[in-house]
Amino acid sequence: MIRLEKVSKVYDSGHVVVEALTDIDLTVDEGEYVAIMGSSGSGKSTLMHILGCLDNPTSGSYVLAGYDVSAMEPDALAKVRCSSVGFVFQQFNLLPRLTAAQNVELPLLYSSRPASEREGVVEEMLSKVGLADRGHHRPNELSGGESQRVAIARALANDPAILLADEPTGNLDTTTEEEIMSILDELNSQGRTVIVVTHDETVARHAKRTVHLLDGRIV
Amino acid sequence: MNFFAQLKLAAVSLRYNKSRSFLTTLGIIIGVMTVIAILSLLEGLNRKIKTEFSMLGSQTIFIQKVEWMISTPGNRQQLDFEELRKRPNFSIKDAEALALLPTIEVAVPTIDKGVGNLKRLGNTAQNCRLKGTAEGGDLTSNWVVEEGRFISREDRLHRRMVCVLGAYVADNLFGAENPIDKTIDVENHRYTVIGVLEEKGTMFGNPQDNVVIIPVSTYLKYNRMPRGWRSIWGGLTIEALPKRGVPLEDAMGDVEELLRIRRGLRYDEDNDFGLNTQQMIMSALQGITSTLWIVMIGIAAISLIVGGIGIMNIMLVSVAERTREIGIRKAVGARDHDILLQFLLESVLLAMLGGLVGILIGLGIARLVSALVPFLDAASPWWTVVLGFGFSAAVGIFFGIYPAQKAAKLNPIQAIRYE
Repeated sequence: MIRLEKVSKVYDSGHVVVEALTDIDLTVDEGEYVAIMGSSGSGKSTLMHILGCLDNPTSGSYVLAGYDVSAMEPDALAKVRCSSVGFVFQQFNLLPRLTAAQNVELPLLYSSRPASEREGVVEEMLSKVGLADRGHHRPNELSGGESQRVAIARALANDPAILLADEPTGNLDTTTEEEIMSILDELNSQGRTVIVVTHDETVARHAKRTVHLLDGRIV
Repeated sequence: MNFFAQLKLAAVSLRYNKSRSFLTTLGIIIGVMTVIAILSLLEGLNRKIKTEFSMLGSQTIFIQKVEWMISTPGNRQQLDFEELRKRPNFSIKDAEALALLPTIEVAVPTIDKGVGNLKRLGNTAQNCRLKGTAEGGDLTSNWVVEEGRFISREDRLHRRMVCVLGAYVADNLFGAENPIDKTIDVENHRYTVIGVLEEKGTMFGNPQDNVVIIPVSTYLKYNRMPRGWRSIWGGLTIEALPKRGVPLEDAMGDVEELLRIRRGLRYDEDNDFGLNTQQMIMSALQGITSTLWIVMIGIAAISLIVGGIGIMNIMLVSVAERTREIGIRKAVGARDHDILLQFLLESVLLAMLGGLVGILIGLGIARLVSALVPFLDAASPWWTVVLGFGFSAAVGIFFGIYPAQKAAKLNPIQAIRYE
């Protein structure tokens, strides 16, 4: 499903050269539940951007769901993101002007699904995260937990190969944290590949495998 | 994302910032409004000029001592009034000679003057003109006899005391009565009415129906011109009509040649007379309106550019404000051109809405002005509306492309972290 070989990422600002990732070898099989842990500055955000096809590695190869994405052009990457990656962010990142349902619909619009299909998918995704009746609310009318659930529904809309969660509970209290993690657990038990990036032990414990990052290397 | 969804997205976004959207389009609104209003009025004026001048008789050559368009932008020669005054008057014999030209149908000697109010049995016709003319004068001046007949050759030769009345004079002096064979008094002379003309209306606000037409010979009998008397506009005007199918230019050429011979001009001397036609005034006026056009296009272009810069400015603000939104959209799968189209459609929609409002207000102003100014009718041909729409859309695209490109080129990772 995911295979990284000797992936490195170097940021060269002209004055300073920062090696964010060095020789990362990582394989994640379909249906796995992986936590990527590390303190801040360990390179876990960079790794997640590469895993999520938001960025290209400087060197090495990355194969996602059979596609070699390591050297793809931005538009091709966007297509892969659209079809194969679902993002869940710490700040939820819902569009404030749109309703919950419209937020979930967003990836469907960009994958050009016909309107007749979209409505059904949105409903299905919202009920999957237990928010079937809140589709018409805007993000500012939702609690943190509800917002994150909408974000999960959005991430799942295009039935992606992997679900990438970046500190998904970072902005939530402990009860809501449990709620969100149990949704991720359930998704994984249904066969979804889930990768959680976190610095929190309790979150990482939900995963079946933990990868530790330190100074850009897997330890 | 398909185009229709994008369009909806742009509309939603504009509605979200209603007052800002409105203020942004104000420049476009004012620009398009000005163009549409002025175009409509100019076009109306042009049409008016055409219809009004058709009253003169579009083919008639008015032969006078002076050219009407003596000082046009293309002809800036110094006027020598002394020379103009000394030019010899035209005579009846000139008219008779011109009438013999093979290209000329009729050549009518005419002369007219104001005679003030005419009275008959307590009725008054105000501000009338007395015009002396001859047989064929109805053709050269586009008059249609409604009842009775026009001045004939015999009337002229025998200096008969007969007259043909304009519709206004007939209505006011005779009312429901039939004027034919009745008499009216003009300047202490009694004339028998032999015909009544159809109504002609006004030409540039000047009434055309307040005339009393008599044979030119009768007119000259009572209005003797002193021997040797010369004035610039005085003397006879010969109205000449080319034969059917003869181009106006050919007829004018013949007339010019004959008159030069009759007036004894040497080959190197300029004409001492003017061959005036309706076309000359029309082309001069069209010269003026085309200058107005250029000025107006300049003004419109400036206001559209200013409006466009306003749109670009606000779109740049909008892109900055929505950096995070752009990042999120890219993260969930928006390609660069999806973002480009989103913002471009927003600016085009904004500009076109401005254009639409501007068109409506402009048409309203044109209607208002034509309601207030009596002789001006606005005409708004469909192409002015298309032009207004097209230009505002073009402004939206031209000034929207830079902000949209800026949005599309944003790095999703940085954009999504933008606070």
